[in-house]
Parts: sequence; structure tokens; C-alpha cells
Amino acid sequence: MSMTMGIVVLFVKMLAVLAVLLGMAAYMVLLERKLLGWFQLRPGPNRVGPFGLLQPIADGLKMLLKEDIIPRDAERLLFLIAPALLALTTLLAFAVVPFGPDLVIGGQVIPQVISDLNVGLLMIMALSSIGVYGVALGGWASNSKFSLLGAIRGAAMMISYELPLSLALVPVVMLSGSFSLTDIVNAQQGYPFILVQPLAFALFFVSAMAESKRVPFDMPEAENELMAGFHTEYSGMRFALFFVGEYVNMVLLGALTAVFFLGGWHGPFLPPIVWFLIKIMITPFFLIWTRASLPRLRYDQLMHLCWKVLTPLALLNIIVTGAFMAG
Amino acid sequence: MVFTWLHLAILVFLFVGVAFAGGPLAGSLLLAPKERGGDVGMPYECGMRPHGGAWTQFGVNYYVYALLFLAFDVDVLYLFPVAAFYPDADGFSAFLKIFVFLFVLALAIVYFWAKGVFTWPRKIS
Repeated sequence: MSMTMGIVVLFVKMLAVLAVLLGMAAYMVLLERKLLGWFQLRPGPNRVGPFGLLQPIADGLKMLLKEDIIPRDAERLLFLIAPALLALTTLLAFAVVPFGPDLVIGGQVIPQVISDLNVGLLMIMALSSIGVYGVALGGWASNSKFSLLGAIRGAAMMISYELPLSLALVPVVMLSGSFSLTDIVNAQQGYPFILVQPLAFALFFVSAMAESKRVPFDMPEAENELMAGFHTEYSGMRFALFFVGEYVNMVLLGALTAVFFLGGWHGPFLPPIVWFLIKIMITPFFLIWTRASLPRLRYDQLMHLCWKVLTPLALLNIIVTGAFMAG
Repeated sequence: MVFTWLHLAILVFLFVGVAFAGGPLAGSLLLAPKERGGDVGMPYECGMRPHGGAWTQFGVNYYVYALLFLAFDVDVLYLFPVAAFYPDADGFSAFLKIFVFLFVLALAIVYFWAKGVFTWPRKIS
């Protein structure tokens, strides 16, 4: 492939991924409000456009026209970059997520992934760790007590769920023998890893729920006690960045669950990309469902769940997997 | 490490992402109203005047966890390369090595558990 051709293909892929992603994030908000409505036997948003389909656009316009307030005593620089840090790290993680098998167009092989990095899994773990700085710094820099409490909780949660999250991925790496997400999906040609690693899937799913900072693990924002937690002081477009970051993160967790455990784009009858999009939507659906039906935990309860239950289980799971593979 | 176009693609994606995030911010800078002065910039405390700033001394109840986390996270990072090579390793001795490593790791959790690190409010200071 020639140099210019490669660059054009790269940019087309990037724009496609970003457009689909941000579109999905925007409509995830509508989907959440609709589903929450149905769970509670009310219609949900239905005023803007048919079935409320234009609601995300109305929301976006509203955010755009709202004032971007910087609190008087805030640490300005950190306050300004914190939301971007959260949104960017989640967006960037999609650079290594494969959306389908290699396409062959006019004799050219075009992988449906922006960059098939051979350490993709490690990059995603690193980015998810960096994303927490957005929460911690944003909450601290606001110089508001609610925000500070939210930031403290956010950091506390991160040091708890991060271990089971990474330990749950070790068996996946053991089975596929690679860090590349494309290789991991290809290793699930015959059967998805959820069938051989149900425990790892459960651990990953619970940790991912904690990572998404949503009910039952939404202690950093906890509307009823901390107003909005770490983003109490944010308004306008900068709040929207936090918001988009959170919803893109939901899509990302859906994509990761699909890639690591549900077999990625593999599936009968339908085209691969359709299968992948369907599998992406499974995790967000459950996250919305839990929001409608579960109460909030305290953050020490989450820490104890992670350290006393999930981490030992994850270690045990690795040993059992190792024994089966050796035997 | 060799810098290839794969890494360049990630960097370019980062910049495109910045543009996607920065565009609306710039638009908001142009379109949104700007009020200055008064109590607009006051930290939000349910309408009350804030009583002192937020940056005072506060007890982070879980700092022992944070230290533990640091140690464990590095250990887990060591586990990943081993896991990637595991399918190619020769069966039983590889399993034994991983078992010893994880056993010691699990012992650490048991030790801290018995020591009372995982109780709340914390027992040791």
C-alpha cells in the first residue's frame, strides 16, 4: 500500500470510529433515559423529535449555550484539563479495539482497527489508570468539599477494582498467548472465552461496573449525598466532556467485554461488524439495568469486596486455569 | 523500542480526539454567556456560604490500601508476560512456578487481612 493511500485509509478509519463512538455515546444517554423510563413504567423522553430521537442534539445545544464557570478558588490549570483527561483516555483506548476481521478491498488488506498494537491490552490498562487522574484532579482542583470527597472516593475505588480487573484478564492472555486484541478475538474463533472462563468474566464484569462509576458503585458522584461528587463545580461544555467521557467509557467497557470474553466479531449469519455492535451493547444495557434496580454501596464496602473476595478469587482462577492448561 | 506507524496512528488518533473534544469547547467559548463577579464563582454548598476552603488536612482512611495496591499492581504487571508465554511453556514446571508466585502473593493478602488492614475504620495507623 502506498504512503498516501495508507494515510487516507488511516484518517477515514479514525473519523469513522470517532463519529460512531460519539454518536453512540450521545444516543446512549437517550437509551439510558428511555430504558430507565420503561423500567419505572413511564414513557421516558418523547417530546423532542419522534420518540425523543432528537433529544441528544437538544442536550448538546443546551450544553453549548451554558456558561462555563470556573470557581473562584479553583486551581485553574488542573480544573481545565481534568475533564479532557478523562474523555481523551477513554477515546484513545478505542485505537486498539478491533471492530472486525481484515477487509480486502481491491486487493488491499485493511484491518478494521486503527492500530493493532502488540501490547494493546497493556495500553488499555494503562489508559484506564490514567483516566482516574481526571476524577481525582478534577475533584481536588475544584476546591469544593463535595468535589474533594468525590475525588477521594474515586481514588479509593480505583486502587480496589484495578487489581481484580487486571487479574481477570490474565487467564485471557494465558489462553490466547497474546496482548493484541485482534489475536485475542482470533483465539476465540471456535468458542468465546466466557464458556471456559465464567469466573474471570464475572470478576471482569463486576470490576468494569466499578470502573464505570455507576450504580451500585457510583460513590464518586453519588447525587444524593455529594450533589455530583467530583464534577459538582463543572458546568457547560466542560461538564459535557465528563459526561461524554462516562458514556464513551460505558461503550468501551462493552467493547472490551465483547473482545475479551464474548468472542468479538465472531458469530453466525450476521456480518461481523453487526455482531460486534450487538455484543458491545450488552454491557451498557446491564449497566443501565443495575442503575434502575440496585442501591448504592459505601466505598469501604466496595474496597472490601475487591480485596477480600474478588482478588483472592482471581488469583485462584489463574491457578486453576494454569493447572488445566498444564494438565 | 522501534517507533512504527502503528504508534504514529495512536498519536494521530490522540490529536483527532483532542480536536473532537476541543471543538465544542471553542464553540462554547464563543456562544456561551459569561458572567463575572458576584457569587457565581463561589463553591457550591447547597446555597450556603462555604465555611472555609476544601484544601484543609483530611484523613485518607485507605492509604495503607494504596501502598498495598502499588506493590500488587507491579506484581500483576510481572504476571502478564508470563501469562503470554504460558501456552508455549513446557507444562508442569511452568505451572509450578506460577503457583509459587501466586501463592506468595495470596499469602500477602492473608497477612494483611490478619493484621487488620482490611477493617474499617482502620485498626492500624
